[in-house]
Amino acid sequence: MSHRSTSRRLRVSALTRVEGEGGLHIAVHDGKVTSVELNIYEPPRFFEAFLRGRGYTEPPDITARVCGICPVAYQMSACQAIEDACGVHVGGQLAALRRLLYCGEWIESHALHIYLLHAPDFLGLPDAIALAERDRATLERGLSLKKAGNAIMELVGGRSIHPINVRLGGFYRLPAKAELAGLTEQLRRALDEAIATARWASTFEFPDATIDHELLSLRDPGRYPIDTGTLVSSSGLDFSPAEYLDHVTELQVPHSTALHATLDGGRYLVGPLARYAMNAKWLSPTAREVATDIGLGGRCRNPHRSILVRAVETVYAIDEALRIIAEYEPPEIAAVDVSPRAGTGHGVTEAPRGLLYHRYRIDTDGTIEDAVIVPPTAQNQPAIEDDLRRLVSISLHLDDHELAHRCERAIRNYDPCISCSAHFLDLTVDRT
Amino acid sequence: MTGVVVGIGNEYREDDGVGLVVAEQIQRRDLPDVRVVSTDGEPSRMIEAWAGADVAVVIDAARLADPNPGRVHRILVDDLPGHVSPASSHGLGVPEAVELARALDRLPGRLVLYTVEVQKTGFGVGLSDPVAAAVPGLVDAVLRELAGPPCLE
Repeated sequence: MSHRSTSRRLRVSALTRVEGEGGLHIAVHDGKVTSVELNIYEPPRFFEAFLRGRGYTEPPDITARVCGICPVAYQMSACQAIEDACGVHVGGQLAALRRLLYCGEWIESHALHIYLLHAPDFLGLPDAIALAERDRATLERGLSLKKAGNAIMELVGGRSIHPINVRLGGFYRLPAKAELAGLTEQLRRALDEAIATARWASTFEFPDATIDHELLSLRDPGRYPIDTGTLVSSSGLDFSPAEYLDHVTELQVPHSTALHATLDGGRYLVGPLARYAMNAKWLSPTAREVATDIGLGGRCRNPHRSILVRAVETVYAIDEALRIIAEYEPPEIAAVDVSPRAGTGHGVTEAPRGLLYHRYRIDTDGTIEDAVIVPPTAQNQPAIEDDLRRLVSISLHLDDHELAHRCERAIRNYDPCISCSAHFLDLTVDRT
Repeated sequence: MTGVVVGIGNEYREDDGVGLVVAEQIQRRDLPDVRVVSTDGEPSRMIEAWAGADVAVVIDAARLADPNPGRVHRILVDDLPGHVSPASSHGLGVPEAVELARALDRLPGRLVLYTVEVQKTGFGVGLSDPVAAAVPGLVDAVLRELAGPPCLE
């Protein structure tokens, strides 16, 4: 009897342990994978329409609501784009404070992904609850690390989810030097926890996998890219944020509300693997040392090992936060003036899960005429589907349950922000 | 006695914002010893919000296959569906937060969950009429929970 003529469909309707909602549909016919469709419901399309006709000061607050996990990324890309349109550059200590806030988001988001979402995959555990039951101290370390990121977001951002202290040109309220210094002790502890996290993760067994996707990230010579920089790719592309949409094209595909992006027509990857490959030399000495210790090398092409890159980036973000706090002198004004003028502006920053691009066109009185948001997950989607296609092709001997599990793991490697972020309790109601 | 009110939801997903609306109305009353937190439902934030509190009231939207929009369910933590199997869970949510808090000994003294059956959850702002109509009753219910457990509980 042969399986060759059978058709097999596998549907994982709700992906586990990825943010928000998503689904995966794989079709296999005659032993060949005929389609891999990752259904992602992404909100930027709604927000693009929602922003049209609104005031130019509103996008930082409104787009921060796109995602509960990376609101700062949305705020920073939005501010940068609108300031660019208005011909304003925010530098000095105001820029340093923005970077500090962004470090808080990296720490929080990476700690969440490493401990609550990704690590259980390598430990043969179903989820973080099982990890807490088996090794409470380890999970507590993860939560403590995450809390250090929260503390930065609460102080600089005003609160940890949907920070309210960010505005065009800077902030509403500046932290006092002593307030920031108050974070130092917690961050030093967090640095030890982050280093321990990297060492712990380096003991995991990683399945073999090598990706050949083109890699795209920011580059900000002299430092690891977070909030500023120009675009560089592994094939040698080098362009400015204003040229983003000359290279990145978004296509509508029927199976997903997310647009699929291509880079000069091909699939590509943004996020930790890309950032690290293009910028490892700009890590802080401590982060570089940790990367060497845990055997990361100059680049990492195994997506399962992205957990190690996230751990190293967490070390870096804490180091960088400590540096900014040590050098902080409150600026004279909390925000520079940003007056509207007709024009188009571009902003691109490194969200924890990859590049986030915003473009706004505003008219003379500051009304938004057009908004474009390209989120990281839309850019990674073709690469994730390619990984899944390869994985499924060599895993057809597995039963559906195990195959679904392997697929979920492959998706979690990229920490996709399937960020509709609508949360529903699956409720069972017994009626008698 | 310290109380925590946790509103879960997304104000840009229509009825999913109901938990946030209730939390905001409680916040406006500026009650002593009551902390109000709005969140997207990420478990570690919920755990941080309620750890150490005498009573925590969580308000969330519930999507059912055959909903009766605006209908409210009161659920005590021990009545929640047990350890949620990874194959069926919709990402992380309240049950996961409760289980995780239990494993870490960070449940509040008493944890009550109010869920509201929703009508629409597309992208957009504002609640549907039946869900909006449920808000005043929910606010009263949350205030009663904060004042003390019902006699027959």
